[in-house]
Amino acid sequence: MRLSPFLVPFLLCLTLQAQDPTIREAFLQAKAAWAAQGNRDEATTRFEQVVASLAPRAKNLEPDSLQVLCESYNWLAVLDDRSPATKSRTQVRFQALLSLNADFELDRTMTSQRLVALYERLRSGEYAPVRLSYAPEGGQLRVDGEASTALPRKFLPFGTHRLIYQRPGHTPQEQTLEVAPREARALAFNLPRIASTLRFHTSPAGPEVLLDGRSLGHTTGRGGTEEAALAISMGLRPEDLSKPFVIPELPPGKHRLELRGPCFRPRVLELGEDLAKPFADHTLEPIRMAPSRGTLTVRSAWPGGELFLSGEAKGPLPVSGLSVCAGTYDLMVRFPAGGFSRQVTVEDGKPVLLEVQPRPRLAYLGLEGGEFTGRARFDALLAGFGERLQHLAFLLPHRGETPVDALARLKASREAELVLIATPVADKVIHRIELTLATLDGEEERVVVKPLEEDPLASLAERLNRLPRLQQPGLGLILLDLPSEPGPWVLGATEAALKAGLQPGQPITALNDQAVTSAGDIQKALASAKESVTVRQGDRTLTIPVQTDALEVPLGQPGFSYPAVLAQLRLRYRGASGEAGNLLKFNMGLILMHLRRYDKAIELLRDTHLPATQGISQGTLDYHIGRCFLRLGPAYLGEATQAFRQALKYPQATLLSPDGPLVAPLAQQALDDLK
Amino acid sequence: MLALPTCYRPAAAILCLLAPGLRAQGGDLAERLYQSGERAYAARSYKEAIETWQQLLQSNPTSSYCPKALLKLAQHQVEIEKKPEAALPFLDRLKADFLKSPEAAEGLLLSGRLLLGQAHRPGDLKDAMAEFHRLLDLYPDAPACAQARLELGRAWGLLGQWGRALPQFLDAFRLRYDVRVAPQAMLAAAETMDLLGDLPGCLRMFQQLHTEFPALPEGQEATWRMAVRVKHRLQRPGLKLEGPWPQGRVKWLKTPLLLQGTPEGDLLIFQNDLDHAFRLRGTELTPVGPPGPSARALVNSRAGTLWMLTRNTLIREEAPAPQPIGTLNAVTGGVLDAWDQLWIADAKVAALTVLAPDGSTRSVGSPPIQALTARLGGGLVAASDSDRKLLFLDQGGQPRLVIPYGKDLPAAFRTVTALCSDGAGQVAALVDGGDYGEGVLIFGPDGTLLRQAQFKTLGISGRITSLALDHSGAVILCDRRNDVLLRLN
Repeated sequence: MRLSPFLVPFLLCLTLQAQDPTIREAFLQAKAAWAAQGNRDEATTRFEQVVASLAPRAKNLEPDSLQVLCESYNWLAVLDDRSPATKSRTQVRFQALLSLNADFELDRTMTSQRLVALYERLRSGEYAPVRLSYAPEGGQLRVDGEASTALPRKFLPFGTHRLIYQRPGHTPQEQTLEVAPREARALAFNLPRIASTLRFHTSPAGPEVLLDGRSLGHTTGRGGTEEAALAISMGLRPEDLSKPFVIPELPPGKHRLELRGPCFRPRVLELGEDLAKPFADHTLEPIRMAPSRGTLTVRSAWPGGELFLSGEAKGPLPVSGLSVCAGTYDLMVRFPAGGFSRQVTVEDGKPVLLEVQPRPRLAYLGLEGGEFTGRARFDALLAGFGERLQHLAFLLPHRGETPVDALARLKASREAELVLIATPVADKVIHRIELTLATLDGEEERVVVKPLEEDPLASLAERLNRLPRLQQPGLGLILLDLPSEPGPWVLGATEAALKAGLQPGQPITALNDQAVTSAGDIQKALASAKESVTVRQGDRTLTIPVQTDALEVPLGQPGFSYPAVLAQLRLRYRGASGEAGNLLKFNMGLILMHLRRYDKAIELLRDTHLPATQGISQGTLDYHIGRCFLRLGPAYLGEATQAFRQALKYPQATLLSPDGPLVAPLAQQALDDLK
Repeated sequence: MLALPTCYRPAAAILCLLAPGLRAQGGDLAERLYQSGERAYAARSYKEAIETWQQLLQSNPTSSYCPKALLKLAQHQVEIEKKPEAALPFLDRLKADFLKSPEAAEGLLLSGRLLLGQAHRPGDLKDAMAEFHRLLDLYPDAPACAQARLELGRAWGLLGQWGRALPQFLDAFRLRYDVRVAPQAMLAAAETMDLLGDLPGCLRMFQQLHTEFPALPEGQEATWRMAVRVKHRLQRPGLKLEGPWPQGRVKWLKTPLLLQGTPEGDLLIFQNDLDHAFRLRGTELTPVGPPGPSARALVNSRAGTLWMLTRNTLIREEAPAPQPIGTLNAVTGGVLDAWDQLWIADAKVAALTVLAPDGSTRSVGSPPIQALTARLGGGLVAASDSDRKLLFLDQGGQPRLVIPYGKDLPAAFRTVTALCSDGAGQVAALVDGGDYGEGVLIFGPDGTLLRQAQFKTLGISGRITSLALDHSGAVILCDRRNDVLLRLN
């Protein structure tokens, strides 16, 4: 390759730029001190600085730096030779140079014949020349396992050596060589060709290279002098390019080359089969990766949140339109109470909007006293319990803190919403552990586990990961599955559905053009429905609005941990308002009833107003208030009576769900019983 | 404190040292005895298991294994020995000595269920209900609470207090969502809502049961119960003759006279020429029960066996010798109530005769009754040709609804040949005479006429002697003259 006259000084600069700037400066100053000023001492000092800096890391130096180090030794030998006081060091310089690179040839323009002879004598005392020929050239040589420059003449230490020459697309060749003093040896490598190779650079380095979907690794490094011409032709700097990435054996046929990077758009190149055969070395144009970024907006109705993206702080919420590389991140928001974390994937050019809410914090207070078999394993399971929780942030106890102290600290600081204490059950031999899960206000549940079971915490983790639905989409219809009808049969409908033209007493046969045969089919389809759906009834197609039906939290189900559900609802309530807030309060009241905290339940339910008159509504609320007062004893019968009377004012109010039993007959019975 | 003489002190010290060991040994022995009994029981060596547990109760009467053993002994008497009364002493000891043990909740539940099973009159329910309430008060978080609430609801239902039964059924599946109890509670709640007049609520509950537990018997029961209610009460399609039933079967019976549906959906047919009853399941006909010459009524017993009433006797499958039923001589129908009392109607006696399980009889005043069938939730429906009225009687035999013959019909009929009910609230009557003539009427649980058809309109010309309502909402007619069953749908 011919280089233009402008390119040579440029490349020289580049070579030096690639090195440490201080070393480069010292090397140039040393040369100038001698060549321009004839200041031998100054030059020696500067070259010694270069040697002191590079010699300790000689084994890991880049070729350019190695060359600088070798030249510095050459210069120092020449300068030392000029003064009687330092002349004796000349030989030491050459010894150091030979141990560094025995193939180095002295610069004869500045080194005297005498010194060259000394150098050659020293070299021939330990090394013998070997003539090497390589076919084809341009491969990599390894001598005794170490990478070495593939030169036509190499000096090897006396003894036996193993030489391997390899080149992409060829079968590597290994030869063993015995080197003896004053004996010139010759060795020829002739590698047979077995495949085509493909070589390319990316700008910048880093993308993953996939050939036909199989990952081959990532492009690495920064371009140097060899890449300069390529880089300039593309209007880039050499360091903008990666080191060459070589696919050493391109299989026959067509291929798909794909490059993927976390911050770049994927690039796909279709490779024709002519690249694979006949065998040849192919070099592609450098592949320029286009940046790929999206925007991230994170908001929360809860105050005080701070955003962290894969551990990096991104400031307080709200964060709007934050430009981030496309990719997947661990997103975390820290709140004054609770936290939020999830994985989020940002796609190229697309915005991601997240409304986040804090999760309750579960503080594990520790395993109280008592030694038992398997304690260490059980301790470890509890310590790693947080990784299994989807809806809770898990806090470990402070080192050296007792459970009692930890509880006192948390009650004072309110740094957690839930606590977990493990207590061995006092048996002759401990084989059961009681786990107490409680809110800081004392609502608790206890479960007993056996520490030697394969996974004693599985059931607790499963329960903590389950959250009840408080709402479901609906059409305002009462549907029945009758064997004689082709689809769910409409028993009743709300005013909105009737207005849309729906007729009670007729079956629905399709929803959004999909056939439905049961009420379950409709409920499934509604899970992904938008504002309205089309239903087919007879030969008519009607558009019916989708409504949101309130639900009661299902109580008494062993699949839920009610203190944890209560903590969830309390946290969600902090960021809720209006109807949603009232529904949360209502269900918090129900859980308190379930946990037999009737006084607290009444306080909460009385402060709640459900605007609906059908389904889960104010009548439902009043009925539950009445039941709470009944539980408080005879002193509150008057209040209970009043609540049940209120409930009777809502004849369409139901329990459990809009399809649940009517409240009115139950309230009436309760009133009759109170008489 | 008394000081021991010096010579006794070493012995006392040894005893003091040994005492905890002895106690521990006693505890170990109790555990070993209990587990040994469990192993024997699992191997079905019942005698050995019972003796081992009895030994445990005698040797370690205060051990924490005693309540477990007492509960096991009680359960054995109920489940294996089938002697519920023999279980009660074990349960009484469990309640008296170990009320704070974890087994006490199960013991209270079992005790309540046994007392409920033994109840023969409303007054007997008090003790059973007290046991359930005790369980709910003492162990509100025990898994047994769901079953206790279900049983409490059933007890209120036996008393006819459906308004009090409903909250118990609802709580049984709402507050303790037990997969075994929940479907039963939902089924009971749905039926109770219907009895309280909330048909939409009843249907919604059936639908929920059908959706949540489609594979369970209760889910399948909900499906047909929902379907027949909708068909008869809401859709009310006109009755049409489908023809012989099972399809294409003609002249295959020998003078069929009586029909009776079973809770499983089968049909019992009494063939007069064979003096025998048969069970029709699908298209398969199998003889059932002992011979019953000139049977007048077929009754399903609670145990699933067949009882037949002849002119003046009761023939039971489990006791083949006919049992005389007092002075009755012209029996027209019989219904077994929730207390296992057999209500018998006689065309010539102006009263209903109630035959108690202990064999005693009593009379409940009524006009002479020509046909009798059960009413949903207890009670009876009786037809009195002399008064020309259909009487909807409560559990005590007192009329709650009186429907004059011909009400809501274009013309009156004169007699009711037979009555039947489908277990979902509907009552069908086979009528004859008057300007209306032969026909079939279907009434709702509140006496509303839901569907009706005259045989002359349907083209039926045989001699229809009995009828039944099936689980799909069809009417099956028994044509004595043509030896065939007909289906109206």
